[in-house]
Amino acid sequence: MQAELIDHIRFTAVSPDMVKRMSVAKIIVPDTYNDDGYPIDGGLIDQRLGVIDPGLKCKTCGGRAKVCPGHFGHIELVRPVIHPEFAKTIYLLLQSTCKDCHRILLNEKQIGDLRPTIEGFVRADDNDKELGLQTSVESEDKNLSIIKKLKTVKKCPYCGAVQGKLKLDRPTFFYMNGNRLKSDEIHDWLAKISNEDLALLGIDGTVTRPEWFVISYLLVPPVNVRPSITLESGERSEDDLTHKLVDIIRTNQRLEQDIDAGAPQIIIDDLWELLQYQVTTYFNNETPGVPVARHRSTRPLKTLAQRLKGKEGRLRYNLSGKRVNFSARTVITPDNYISMDELGVPQKMAEVLTVPFYVTKWNIEYAKKLLSNTSYPTVLNHISKDGTRKRVADMNREELLAALQPGDILDRQLIDGDVVLFNRQPTLHRISINAHIVRVLPGNTFRVHLASVTPYNADFDGDEMNMHVPQTLEAQAEARLLMNISTSIVSPRNGLPVVVALEDMLIGAYELTKDGAYYQKDEAARLLASVGVYELPKPSKDGMYSGKDIFSAILRDDLNFEYTDKKNPNNMAVIKNGRLVKGYISSKLIGKRGMLLLHIYDKYGPEEAKRFLNDVSKLAGRAVYTFGMSISMRDYYISSLEGERQKIISNTLSEASELLRKYKDGTLEPLPGYTKKQTYELEVFATLNIARSIAMKVILDSLTIDNKAMLMISADARGNILNFVQIGMFLGQQSVRGGRPSRGYNGRILPYFTRKDSNPMNKGFVKSNYIEGLGFIDYYMHAMGARDSAMGKPLVTAVSGYLMRRLVNAMQDFYVGNDLSVRDAGGALIETLYGGDGIDPMMEKMQ
Amino acid sequence: MAIAKNNSVKVAPGEAVGTVAAQSIGEPSTQMVLENFHQAGVVSAIRTKGLPRLIELVDARKVPKVATIEIWPEKAIMKDLAKVKALKKKIEEVKVKEVISDFDENFNNASMQLTLNKEKLAMYDLTDRGIVSKLEKIEGIEVSSADHVITVKIKKTKSADRSIHGIRVMFVKVRNMNIAGVKGVSNIGIETTDDGAYYLVAMGNNISGVLEIDGVDKNRVYSNDPFEVMRVFGIEAARNLIANELKDTMKVNGVDVSYRHLMLVADAMTFYGTIKSVGRHGIAGSKNSVFARAAYEETIKHFTNACVFGESDPLTGVAENILIGKQVKVGTGIVKLSIKKSDLKEIKGK
Repeated sequence: MQAELIDHIRFTAVSPDMVKRMSVAKIIVPDTYNDDGYPIDGGLIDQRLGVIDPGLKCKTCGGRAKVCPGHFGHIELVRPVIHPEFAKTIYLLLQSTCKDCHRILLNEKQIGDLRPTIEGFVRADDNDKELGLQTSVESEDKNLSIIKKLKTVKKCPYCGAVQGKLKLDRPTFFYMNGNRLKSDEIHDWLAKISNEDLALLGIDGTVTRPEWFVISYLLVPPVNVRPSITLESGERSEDDLTHKLVDIIRTNQRLEQDIDAGAPQIIIDDLWELLQYQVTTYFNNETPGVPVARHRSTRPLKTLAQRLKGKEGRLRYNLSGKRVNFSARTVITPDNYISMDELGVPQKMAEVLTVPFYVTKWNIEYAKKLLSNTSYPTVLNHISKDGTRKRVADMNREELLAALQPGDILDRQLIDGDVVLFNRQPTLHRISINAHIVRVLPGNTFRVHLASVTPYNADFDGDEMNMHVPQTLEAQAEARLLMNISTSIVSPRNGLPVVVALEDMLIGAYELTKDGAYYQKDEAARLLASVGVYELPKPSKDGMYSGKDIFSAILRDDLNFEYTDKKNPNNMAVIKNGRLVKGYISSKLIGKRGMLLLHIYDKYGPEEAKRFLNDVSKLAGRAVYTFGMSISMRDYYISSLEGERQKIISNTLSEASELLRKYKDGTLEPLPGYTKKQTYELEVFATLNIARSIAMKVILDSLTIDNKAMLMISADARGNILNFVQIGMFLGQQSVRGGRPSRGYNGRILPYFTRKDSNPMNKGFVKSNYIEGLGFIDYYMHAMGARDSAMGKPLVTAVSGYLMRRLVNAMQDFYVGNDLSVRDAGGALIETLYGGDGIDPMMEKMQ
Repeated sequence: MAIAKNNSVKVAPGEAVGTVAAQSIGEPSTQMVLENFHQAGVVSAIRTKGLPRLIELVDARKVPKVATIEIWPEKAIMKDLAKVKALKKKIEEVKVKEVISDFDENFNNASMQLTLNKEKLAMYDLTDRGIVSKLEKIEGIEVSSADHVITVKIKKTKSADRSIHGIRVMFVKVRNMNIAGVKGVSNIGIETTDDGAYYLVAMGNNISGVLEIDGVDKNRVYSNDPFEVMRVFGIEAARNLIANELKDTMKVNGVDVSYRHLMLVADAMTFYGTIKSVGRHGIAGSKNSVFARAAYEETIKHFTNACVFGESDPLTGVAENILIGKQVKVGTGIVKLSIKKSDLKEIKGK
């Protein structure tokens, strides 16, 4: 739905002729409004430049504010000035051409050598993509080196004139043999360089003439570009650009008066320089070597370059990213009773957001029903065939209803079943935006299914998320088919599932399907009813129903699957013809990297995988609800392990002192690239760190899942063994800057220690645990480690954020062609076959 | 995105693989640590790891922070520790300053006396003569030796710099002269594989130097410096190295990223026949769209240059089309929707 397509955009400098053609008004008055608050003719807010005040009409196009796009004006400078951004180019041109005859300082032979590569350039630029896509790197270099040498040429090969010493005094002053070159002299010099000579420097004189870099007609942007704002006090405040333009006109006028009055040359030159300064800062107020132009309040003025540049500049802030309508944002809360691909939308939002409804002869009845509704699912706007837009109110409802015809468009409120996009920042992923199906619910929060939280990296501690309502049918169709969250079940990063069962669902699935889980008829019936199954499986023994059979109710009949965990052979499952015959459902099947989930996705597609996850969450959710699951402090503090704990600590400490002994003896073999001292420190740190891993092993070996905390850990529901160790055994070595804490007092960390005491406890080895509590020294050491890691986080975010921006920027144009080759924007062949085999990384891990 | 239902595992034409690759590397990098050594357990040869290494690779730094080289002995001697140690000795760089016990600089007559350490000489199997002959390769000096004392004198030629600074520079150069082993290869550690074979890990990147040593398995020399690999083995090897190093870096951090994404980065970086960085001086800075470059970094510079050269923006990439509000030419943007004429008639009636 694009009216006009832009094919390409050409950049050139603006010629004085062009300025005169574009300009609708010559600006001569260095002021804005007169005493009556009315724009002055010939002033900077001249009404011919467009209008921004409501009620006024543009004197050029007759349009009112919002309709009139604005028109350019111009200022005639009495003396030309250099455009600061082009000064470097001017310098190059002056260096490369003769001061007398203005020919390029190359003899015929050199030109002959250059020409072939120049022609390569021209061809490449002529949109002839097939032929000269890239000029070879070597010829470019050769070209440059010849041109760079031009400044060393002493004698013009044509007129024989001896070349003077040219100097650029940044930003805009040129000296020839120590004498200032005036801007008008430079203008005349540049004007005499022929197009043929320019071509040798890569400049197309038919497009951009170098004398245009010296400005005598300055373009004045329309008022729309620099709107003035009226403060509450009724005082007008002008835009920075207007301020700068006022300065330019004022200086220009003074210069003109002085010239007319025949003032001494020095005064004229001073003013001319001032005019140059005003114009320089008008273009770029951060030009190096130029004092920054300031507002009365000493705030630096934001001039043209500052408007475009950087993150808050026009390009990145307003053009690459835009504010949108039809969007909503609120806090998210979990809800496992809706489908994974649904999104619970607050009623209040649904009443405000709209979707265009195209009335056709097939749906006109429904449209009429909607339009006649006076409350919730109703129509907010009516756009008739001819494009007139009317707000629907009780007043005109009947009237609109009667006139409704195919071709009309109704802005309908959001209803169940609509498709929306859902997103959380930071959007580091394409799976951080997905399509969901609307489910209008009471309340003020977005309701999200727990399983779909991982790709967004969201939790419910107050996270807010954004929702967007796609408006065109095309966008809606793409959202539904290509962006549904079920298509994000598998990550494009590595082909493993990311939308998975977590937390309660995993415990529930385990409790339900573990060996020896049998249920009474009523319990079994309730469990099955939660997933909409109303037929009981065959009872297995004593009229009891096996949990495995109950779980099998959500498996497809033709599903065959086998899984054994390599590290833990007990963790296995066999599914035959849709029946879980052996083993139990663990996180390895339905959780992160869940192979069963992946298998279902592979075999039946995203829709079925979604259904499966929905059913698992309901069934397993019902299961934990039935059994209950709770932990207590007692689960973490195991008195029988106290002996082990002491043993691990004392072993570690003696190992550390052994290392110290070796170090003092000098028998410690230094690692390559390290001194003995560094080696000692590294090895002690490693030894003390290992203590925790040993404790982890002990806990793993001595506790079973009868301990509910262990059940949580082994089901991958929450927590890990390291947490367990730190809660119940000891915190272990704290690390600061990747090693033991080492700063503080002279020869010690805290004043309570003697100097050079090698006791590991004095260097951040913490023996106590969270349950028994930390002593003040331990507490301090722990706080140091915690602070260190907390400080690192924002740093990593900044660094990796920039890395990401660079990567995306470098590769965003790459796409796969019909032949599965990878191409960039210009069609250049990056890879002949994507990944060497054309396989989608999403499908990589499927069998 | 491929649809599993069709049982097709091929990429869909139009897929924005570049963006997906960038995101697949960028997203997990937020969880990486900034510190170089953050590893519990065994301490082994230091290498830049984690995020800093990732950035180093992607930036195409000319000299990596820590260049390492892996040297495998030939199959025959791989399991013989003594022979591997001998090989190590042959490779490890020895500089003049490492075998002298003292030196005496005389600025009056521009000479320096180096007193050799006999034990060190024996340790490295070096002789006075050998050192002298090596030193003679330096231009502009005269070398003589007597009883473990080497005298170095700067020649009285026109070109010789006999200022104090010049003398000093020359003497430092002499003391840093490589007299044995491979230049630039130091801190060699011997590592073992699971099946008992030994190999060497050293700091330095001098692949071509190592290749000249007998007893080195020439097919297995590995350096983590892409530029050195490019110089010695060519651009394709450098491309493989970059992809492989990216893979290792991700793996060390416990991040699982498809190799395809990493290969694409490596391919993009080496596309021009030399290694280009990902940032503004590399791939992103050499795009043919003015807008894409201006929207990325150095906005003003790109616009003014475009004006000078009368450049035209072909509007083929992603960034520039977003800028002007056109549909982007990737993904569903490269296909057009069409309908059979007969079907259209049927829908429209009549």
